[in-house]
Amino acid sequence: MAPDLFEGYERGPFFDEIFDSEDGVRTHYRSLAERLRGLSPGDLERTERLRDSIFRSRGITFAVYGESQGIERTWPLDLIPRVIPADEWSHVERGLVQRVTALNRFLEDLYAGERAALHDGVVPRWLVQSSAGFVREAHGIPVPRGARCLVSGIDIVRDGDGVYRVLEDNVRTPSGISYVLENRSAMTRVLPVAFAQLRVRPVNHYGSSLLAALRSVAPPSAGDPPRVVVLTPGVYNSAYFEHAFLARQMGVELVEGRDLVVEDHVVCMRTTRGLVRVDVIYKRIDDDFLDPVVFRSGSTLGVPGLLAAARAGNVTISNSVGNGVADDKALYPYLPALIRFYLGEEPILPNVETYLLWEPEQRAAALARLHELVVKPVDASGGYGIVIGPKASEEELAACHKNIEENPRGYIAQEVVALSRHPTLIESGAGAGTARLEGRHIDLRPFVLSGERVEVIPGGLTRVALRRGSLVVNSSQGGGSKDTWVLAQDEEAG
Amino acid sequence: MRFAIRYRSEFRYPDPVFESHNLLRACPTTDARQTLLHYEVTTTPAARLHGYRDYWGTRVDAFGVRAPHTSLTIQAEAGVETRPTGPMAVCPRRADLTDPDFVDAHLEFLGRSPHTAWNEALRKEAEQRSASAGDDVVGIVLALHRMVGTSLEYVPGSTQIGVDVNDVLRGRKGVCQDFAHLLVALARSLGIPARYVSGYLFEAGAEGDLPAPVPDGERLAIKTHAWVEVAIPGAGWWGLDPTNRQEVGERHVKIGHGRDYDDVLPLRGVYQGAGAQALEVAVLIRRESGSQQQ
Amino acid sequence: MLSRHAEDLFWAGRYIERADDTARLLDVTYHGLLESPLADAATSWRELLEVLSLEHAFDARHPTVTGAAVSAFLVLDADNPGAITSAVSHARENARNVRERISTELWEAINTFHLELRGRNLREDLERQPYQLYSLVKSRCQAIAGVASETMSRDDGWRFLLLGRMLERAEMTCRLLSVRFGSHASTGLHADVHYWMAVLKSVSAFEAYVKVNRAEIDRTDVLEFLLLSREFPRSVLFCLRASERELARLGAGLQPSRPERLLGRLRADLEFADVHELLEAGLVESLETVQDGIRSAADAVASHFFLGSASPTLHAFEAA
Repeated sequence: MAPDLFEGYERGPFFDEIFDSEDGVRTHYRSLAERLRGLSPGDLERTERLRDSIFRSRGITFAVYGESQGIERTWPLDLIPRVIPADEWSHVERGLVQRVTALNRFLEDLYAGERAALHDGVVPRWLVQSSAGFVREAHGIPVPRGARCLVSGIDIVRDGDGVYRVLEDNVRTPSGISYVLENRSAMTRVLPVAFAQLRVRPVNHYGSSLLAALRSVAPPSAGDPPRVVVLTPGVYNSAYFEHAFLARQMGVELVEGRDLVVEDHVVCMRTTRGLVRVDVIYKRIDDDFLDPVVFRSGSTLGVPGLLAAARAGNVTISNSVGNGVADDKALYPYLPALIRFYLGEEPILPNVETYLLWEPEQRAAALARLHELVVKPVDASGGYGIVIGPKASEEELAACHKNIEENPRGYIAQEVVALSRHPTLIESGAGAGTARLEGRHIDLRPFVLSGERVEVIPGGLTRVALRRGSLVVNSSQGGGSKDTWVLAQDEEAG
Repeated sequence: MRFAIRYRSEFRYPDPVFESHNLLRACPTTDARQTLLHYEVTTTPAARLHGYRDYWGTRVDAFGVRAPHTSLTIQAEAGVETRPTGPMAVCPRRADLTDPDFVDAHLEFLGRSPHTAWNEALRKEAEQRSASAGDDVVGIVLALHRMVGTSLEYVPGSTQIGVDVNDVLRGRKGVCQDFAHLLVALARSLGIPARYVSGYLFEAGAEGDLPAPVPDGERLAIKTHAWVEVAIPGAGWWGLDPTNRQEVGERHVKIGHGRDYDDVLPLRGVYQGAGAQALEVAVLIRRESGSQQQ
Repeated sequence: MLSRHAEDLFWAGRYIERADDTARLLDVTYHGLLESPLADAATSWRELLEVLSLEHAFDARHPTVTGAAVSAFLVLDADNPGAITSAVSHARENARNVRERISTELWEAINTFHLELRGRNLREDLERQPYQLYSLVKSRCQAIAGVASETMSRDDGWRFLLLGRMLERAEMTCRLLSVRFGSHASTGLHADVHYWMAVLKSVSAFEAYVKVNRAEIDRTDVLEFLLLSREFPRSVLFCLRASERELARLGAGLQPSRPERLLGRLRADLEFADVHELLEAGLVESLETVQDGIRSAADAVASHFFLGSASPTLHAFEAA
């Protein structure tokens, strides 16, 4: 009898995704757990090797910042998938649709509307006006359907009670979807039997859903079908793999700024058969680099005249220019209020408790218990600059204290969320196939498309903090990933 | 007063330029002080124009030229009628400046911007030079206005856009943009909302001196002008022209305003070519008799 | 396809061909000197630089022409854009830019070759076994061409790759003929069978030539073979015909494009040329006309298909 992978597994004082509080296996994990118990060390080793060779041969890597240049690592996918039952997912899905709908409405109001949320004091006017992500140059650029967050990546965590909460909204250029698809494609090859037993909702339609969403925001003057392109900064960008991947999935051209030219406020790409009109640009470059006429950057990554073309209604840029204001973490605490304001609904997915450090009383309260809180810079992503109070040194806390007092607008403080844990294969150090299961903290980045309607891709990217006890799941900081299996509706009964 | 204005920029390139994209802000605005009667932009080579209002409410004309060209001429013609403004009749105190609603409504014109980033020394200077006005906001503003007008000498071409506002006083000279930026910075450093205004100024002698229509030789060839508007609690925006040491009146034709020059600069663009260019900007402004005869 | 991609593929083709041709010329010059006692070493090496139009670049950096200096200059001098290592590195850069458009096999072939050259001690190779190094370069370049041919769809991308290769090769062969026929006419070299054998070998034409002309090495026959053969893939006419064919396939309408027209005229002139007449009328001048024609055609390809895809030099301005 092979040793049980789960033997000696410690659930710990956390919400465990597989085991309930009585150490029983949760219903939706039962068949998977059985399958895993049947794996011999040899099976496991073979599976790991197969997985690694799939990723290597497909060149699926990611860049690590802060390490010496050009470091690329093979994508770390844990073999134990995360399973989400249909009823739980439908709750998350409704919450995401609601949240992204409110984000679209807010951004549309801000850039092309009456700015009602500011006039009515739902969000302080000064907070928006002082946001680095508020792009005045985007004022008045029309976006068909108001689908400004064409692709959103909403980071979700589960707290100690298993409640799904939104941690962060990413509506500029959220990345990671290529890993979701590659993870799935690898898992179907290395664990085909597990898929056969569970009815896992597919994700491989993402390319066609994205293309449909992009086409649905084409300007009225667009061709039929509208021509869509993906705009990348180029091969040296750390996410180039994903840009190329998405262009391939959609079957559209991957262009750089120099491939595009604006003539009479119409965007065209330079081809060997002349200029060809472009109707929708899925941009994967930062706003600041989009158009040197407007943003006056010396960069040649962008396209001179692009914003005027968008403003003239001849091209749609997705995600919309200026979305960064919604990524500003100082705006995050107001999302529940914005949902109530624009939709007249109660938020389905709650936020994490957040201190507004620019409010004197809240600041004082937060500074008094900094060692118990998480402090985040409002304008950073990827987990950079975050101070986790309980794990920070005295010096780090002192520096953090000083930063907040000098620039209260620059940070938010949140209660530490005891992220749920998931059994994860951890190498024991004795070589391949000798891994055992340990609990590791996870989060989830689902991807939401706004087009004709708001559509959530089942599951998303589950990120794992591979270091024991760590709460940092970002792949650039030693995080791993899991395939995320959302079960189809009729699986619920089983 | 009724004016006919012609703004004209002419670029000459020694080597052909293959592509050029431009944003023009030359259109007089319509507000309580003035009404735009007509406006037309033409370019040579011809280009398709797209006009819109920017975040600050200024009309912008965007256009690009793609055919190779060795010169580019942009001409904007406008007719505008201005009205006299009444005297400043309110007398707010400094405390009125800190009213939360007042602050919230004027926040963008209270902070530092790239061309108006005052330092502590400049703020102290503002305090000192306006101390005699005590608690009277209008008096403080007039003191600062006088200070800028008397401390700086207007020397065309003496500075480049981008000079640090904190160094302007020491240099003792500047162009109208420097005058405006300095007054904006001084006012804001004391918590008085102030914005930078771009426009045209009719600088002829006293009213009625010029018969209409004015003979060509008496048209005034100038560049665009810049002045300042400060927000006075209870009264609204008040225009001051520190370069000419006067309140803004019927001879000032406003294009638009912003936090500083960058928000409202008349012509900005990029072009693709060898690099060298010669640029000539000229504004012709002619007083018309129309309004007087009505 | 995107102009930028077409341009990258065109240049990838040219650079690989350039590396290949340069290795061939180095090889044959080196070994020709060993086999032909009549030849003067310095003159031969200078001729090689002239074939490649690199004599001025070389002179600017080296006081005298020696075999070692020229070889190093043409193989590994990082400051020489025409060096084999530079050409391969450029080709790899071009291939990387169109990574999504070419087959994985082709990318890997080019990338591996680039890394292989970087990993070798090329100076030592040149001192000890130049033959092995030149063989390696030739065989890798041919392997790359083979991989491209076996793994790429015959779409526009393939056509630009091939077009780049054929135009580069046509120009190289033309230059070779021009230099070989233009110099030493007064010395006894032209009567030397070894000299013409070396010329043939430099373009891998010796065996093919012998099959057609037997082992009678005659300079007029060599000229005819390398200039006008319709069968031999390195002859100027063959390359021009291939280029013209690809250009016709790239064309969109009924009218031939400008590069196609230019190339068609050039090809027609050669198609019906007579080597004896050419020699009488002044071969060097005629060859120069052909070279100019090839260059004009390449320029026309660039302006017709790639115009404006180069990184623009943008100038920002503002005016009060």
